[in-house]
Amino acid sequence: MRTVENEIGAILSGTISAITQRSIFNRLGPLATRPVSQLSSADRLAVMAELENSVRLFARRNSADLIASCARVLGTDGAAGAAGGPAAGAAGAGAPGGGPATTSAKKLPIEQEKDIATARLEAWSEAVRIGLSKFTSVKVATAVSELARNIVFYAGRGSVELRTVRDEKGASGLQIIASDQGPGIGGPKLEEIWAGTYKSQRGMGKGLVAVKKLVDEFQLETAPGKGTTVTCLFRGER
Amino acid sequence: MKDQQIPIIQIRNCLLVSIQTELHDRLALDLQESLMDRVRVTDAKGVILDVSAVEVIDSYITRILNDIGKSVRFMGAVCYIVGIRPAVAMTLIEMGVELDSVNTALTLDLALEKLELLQS
Repeated sequence: MRTVENEIGAILSGTISAITQRSIFNRLGPLATRPVSQLSSADRLAVMAELENSVRLFARRNSADLIASCARVLGTDGAAGAAGGPAAGAAGAGAPGGGPATTSAKKLPIEQEKDIATARLEAWSEAVRIGLSKFTSVKVATAVSELARNIVFYAGRGSVELRTVRDEKGASGLQIIASDQGPGIGGPKLEEIWAGTYKSQRGMGKGLVAVKKLVDEFQLETAPGKGTTVTCLFRGER
Repeated sequence: MKDQQIPIIQIRNCLLVSIQTELHDRLALDLQESLMDRVRVTDAKGVILDVSAVEVIDSYITRILNDIGKSVRFMGAVCYIVGIRPAVAMTLIEMGVELDSVNTALTLDLALEKLELLQS
C-alpha cells in the first residue's frame, strides 16, 4: 500500500530536493508513513495544510500545480483552497501597546539528530512567513542549525523556541531561544570559545561564535551544571 | 537507523559524490573512508562533492567538508566542492567559517574542466 511519503514524494521529486522532502515528512510525524487510504479526513486536511506551506516555500516553480496534485492524491481538492487562505495571513495579528511584542511562538523539542533538521526547516519557514528576505531566512536556518546541534552534541536534549516579535515600527523579527539543562559552559572554556581557540571533538568549535556573527542581538546565559540558554534576534526588515 | 551509504560515481579519473541526504557523524566518516579507499584503488586525480541539494551549511558540515578535502589531499588528489548556493556562501562569509581545505567551482562541468587543466 502506498504511504503518504510514497505518493507525495513521487509528486515532489524533481522540484524539491530529497533533503527538504525528508524534513517535510518529518514534520508530518507518524502520518507520513501511513497508507493514504487509511487516513481520516481530518488527517488528510492536516497533511494538506502542512504540505501547502512547505511546497509554497520550497518549490522553485509550479508550486500551485504541485499543491493541486497533492490535494488530488489526498482527496482534499475541495477543501485545500479554503485551508490556504487564512493561514497565509496569520502573521498580521496586531501587537498591543508599544515595544516588541510576541505575536506567535513555537517551541520545538531537540532530542536527537533528526530534530536538528526539523528545527532548521521550521525556522526557515517561519522566517519566510514573517517576511524576512531569502538570504536572511537562510541565515536564520543556519543559526538554528548551529544551536540545535550544540544541544544534541553537548547537552543531549533541550528545546528551540521560535517567537515572532514586532518592533515599534511594526516590522516582524524572529527571536530564537535555545535552552538546555546540560553541563553548561565554564569560564575558561567560554574565553577560549570567544577567542576562537576552542577546538571541539565533533565540530569546529565555532558554532556559538558563528551564531553571534549571524544575528542582530545575542545573549548567552550559562554556568557549569546549570545548563545553557542562548537568546538571539533577527530584526524585521521593513 | 537504516544503513545509509552515499554513492560514489567514477567519471574518467575523477570521483563524483552528490550529497542528497542529511550528513551525520557516522555517514560522514564512512564517506571519508570510502572516498580515500576509492582514490587509492582507482588512482583518481580529483574528487568532486556536489552540494547543490544542501540548503544549509553550518560549521559542523563545513568541518566535514574540510576534513574530506584534507584526506583527499593526503591521498594526492584534489577536492572540489561544487554547487554552493549564493545564500549559503553569504552565510558562511558572515559566520567567518572557512572552507579552506577544498577548492570550489560553480558547477560540476567547471570543476571537471579545472581538473582536466591540472592534468594536462
